[in-house]
Amino acid sequence: MHGNANGLLLSGNHAVAHGVRLARPDVIPVYPITPQTPILEKITELQAEGQIAAELLTPESEHSAMSACISASLTGARVFTATSSQGLLLMHELLHYASGARASIVMCNVNRTPAAPWGFWPDQLDSLAQRDTGWIQLYSETPQESLDSVIQAFRVAETARIPVMISHDAFYVSHAVEPVDVPSQSLVDEFLPAFRSDIRLDTEIGRSFGAPNDQANWNRSRRELDASMQTVNDLVIDAGRDWGALTGRSYGPLEFYRTEDAEVVIVTMGSMCGTVRDAVDEMRDKGVAVGMLKVRLFRPLPVAALREALAGVPCALVLDRNYSPGTGGVLHQELKSALYGLAGAPRLHGLLTGVGGVNVAPGRIEQLVSEFSGKEPVVGPVWVE
Amino acid sequence: MREIIILGRGGQGAQTAGNQLAQAFYAEGKFVQTFATYGGARRGTPVTSSIRVDDKPVRRRCNIERASAMLCFDGSLLDANFLRNVDSETVIVVNTAKGRDAFDALGDYRIVTVNGAEIARRFDMGKVVNSALLGAFVATLDQPGIKTMCGVIEQTAPAKKQQNIAACQYAYDQARGAI
Repeated sequence: MHGNANGLLLSGNHAVAHGVRLARPDVIPVYPITPQTPILEKITELQAEGQIAAELLTPESEHSAMSACISASLTGARVFTATSSQGLLLMHELLHYASGARASIVMCNVNRTPAAPWGFWPDQLDSLAQRDTGWIQLYSETPQESLDSVIQAFRVAETARIPVMISHDAFYVSHAVEPVDVPSQSLVDEFLPAFRSDIRLDTEIGRSFGAPNDQANWNRSRRELDASMQTVNDLVIDAGRDWGALTGRSYGPLEFYRTEDAEVVIVTMGSMCGTVRDAVDEMRDKGVAVGMLKVRLFRPLPVAALREALAGVPCALVLDRNYSPGTGGVLHQELKSALYGLAGAPRLHGLLTGVGGVNVAPGRIEQLVSEFSGKEPVVGPVWVE
Repeated sequence: MREIIILGRGGQGAQTAGNQLAQAFYAEGKFVQTFATYGGARRGTPVTSSIRVDDKPVRRRCNIERASAMLCFDGSLLDANFLRNVDSETVIVVNTAKGRDAFDALGDYRIVTVNGAEIARRFDMGKVVNSALLGAFVATLDQPGIKTMCGVIEQTAPAKKQQNIAACQYAYDQARGAI
């Protein structure tokens, strides 16, 4: 037997919808887009059945959906939304607004190629291009992790007063149906009590958000956001540990897979981590000292932990499923910055792997390790398939 | 690990069939992963459903490069692009009104034909062929059992449950006779 007798077969998108149900949000403004739509459909179904009590808003665009999220959140409510690619890009203006207004929104983004050309394929550029909008960003590897992360994200967002975006890859996670443990409502209630922000728009209190400010106050708002951002790493650690105590599934900002004594560490995010695990096992069986560093928390980037983890490692391969024109892979760029000036920093290769959703199988990852681990890195982007 | 591809056109039910087959394996104690990919959210475009079955959790998240079995909802989809993912060992079950010899020109493949439309008509199912195709497909695999497959169809078919089960069983028996 598979030992997962309590598991339901759920897609990543439906797992997210169940995570939302368990988190008991008050308001869900949402607009459909492939391949996010099954999240909206399942939430709508659960709401119609009475399993979700939230007010469901279906405005005319993602821009309006995010506007509604901000307004609802600022009344002190717990708010969720979901989108993908073009929809996320249409929200861009409001993403800045949401973090600036300190709205504790949780959003799931399904990573999909941005047009043009038109496509529906797994590629993380849509969310990575939002890295400066002030949202906390988590990347999920599996449907189970997506469900678990939605619930943890509410705690982090509401404590730090910063919105959280959880991204999972199109198809490989969003449409992957597999056994998912759906925790009980009482377990989730224990982890995530009801929320009503004491800083809120309320006629009984009298407060406003987003009014014009002078330079000094605008500057102060960003210093305060920065101070809160610096608490996020510990909040993610605490939430992942407490969740683990209740469910047996612990999470952190980073995850290490067979990195002890590794001479080559593969660094990546999202669905590719699963494929890398299989590749690492196959290489370890052949005596290759290789491991994986999974970046789950991308914003704020866990710089101190990355420096500690990679100091003394001879070689690291960053696998980027995205391409930032003019620079290369975004994670590679971030890693170079994070490791700057580090004594014993690895030779850091940035490989554009799987851009546009092209297939990356375990055998290909083995080839990349064999091809690049002995080489000196180059400055520009390296395209591989 | 067993890797299976179901190939169809949007609207034919390939994704549903993939989920139902995965549920049958899961019901028999296997770990499964199934995912669909499609080029456009509209009817008629090619849809691929990929299914992995193993005794331990499936971790890899990539396309299937070499399927051990393939179910094809539409013979016109069997071209070089999709045949890259099979080899001469792969059992390919094709939904077609044509005979086996219509596919000889494709090369040396283990092709089993099933006339899904005829079976669907027989059981008053209109154009809904996925239960019949699953029956024929399961007949070529050692697992899942036909009882499990029919049980999943009973749980998941949105309408005409008995007709769906009958079509699945009929196609299974017919394919068993043909193998």
